[in-house]
Amino acid sequence: MPLTERGRAMIERLPEAAFPTAGTGGCLILRHEERCVGCGRCAAACPSGASSRGETFDPRQLFDAPADSRRGALGAALRAIAGHAPAGVIDVPARVTVFRTIVYDNRRCLGCGACVRACPAEAIEALAPEAAVPPAAGAAPAAVTDSTSGEAIP
Amino acid sequence: MTATTELTAAYVMRQPGSGAAAQAATAAPTAPVAGDSLRRSVVAFCCRECAYAAADASANARTPLPPTVRLVLVPCSGRVGPLHLLSALAEGADGVMVAGCLEGQCHYREGNFNAIDRVTFVQRLLASVGVEPQRVRMFTMSAGEPPRFVAAVREMDRTIGALPPLARGTTRTDLTVAPSSTAAATEGRP
Repeated sequence: MPLTERGRAMIERLPEAAFPTAGTGGCLILRHEERCVGCGRCAAACPSGASSRGETFDPRQLFDAPADSRRGALGAALRAIAGHAPAGVIDVPARVTVFRTIVYDNRRCLGCGACVRACPAEAIEALAPEAAVPPAAGAAPAAVTDSTSGEAIP
Repeated sequence: MTATTELTAAYVMRQPGSGAAAQAATAAPTAPVAGDSLRRSVVAFCCRECAYAAADASANARTPLPPTVRLVLVPCSGRVGPLHLLSALAEGADGVMVAGCLEGQCHYREGNFNAIDRVTFVQRLLASVGVEPQRVRMFTMSAGEPPRFVAAVREMDRTIGALPPLARGTTRTDLTVAPSSTAAATEGRP
């Protein structure tokens, strides 16, 4: 369910302990950045603020994009004139909105899969919780103790 | 000087006011290639409301433009995206300039601000892959300033003439080879 601006601002102020189910029960979210088109719908749909549009862009996303996509066309043009492989991430000017790498914070992720349903490019994959045991095993105990110590937030 | 007279001659054969694009297009093949810098080409995306009008006025005044420049009419500089700039470079241009309205005077309110940020973005993109960022540049001017347009084109022409020709294709194989060479390295490791 998309959040309002006010709701998003409130979530931004919450500590990580306010997400007790993060990393415990939900799906494991797997992002395929090379397929991402930068539309930001995952960030708009995310109920916990785990996905957001970042301030930087990784040019390698253009090089790895599918050839028939817009980013792929851009990558092909860049590849034709490139002297070497991209050196690293670049800062993005304020008015460029599409060419931003999505920042995904798995400590806030509830694993609800809202981003998977919102993604038009099939760039996000949700793995079933049982398949996600190895990554969740490390994250789950920390999240649970945090939530029990911070009793104030149910 | 020969280039100048031929430029004017080529233009006079056309009807007055037929546009600066026609002047540049007809002049370029007839212009004698004196130095290496004359073989460079610059694509100029010109806003219809200001820069293209300035180009038209400068052509009516018979101000010679550098023969390297090709004008492309766009309804607003905000129409120009990263793909326009990069595919122009990839398909033969050595430099690309975007000419839009003065800040705050865009006829579509903020198209030129979008263009300024996109040009900055493409400059950073070029710098990250080892291409000179000054190959892409944004200029702003009003419709009543033909000298400013001519000065912008000449400055761009000077910048690009000082740079080596943009290498294409040859480096492309390096890029495609790179992943397989790393794959070979990982294969050889165990």
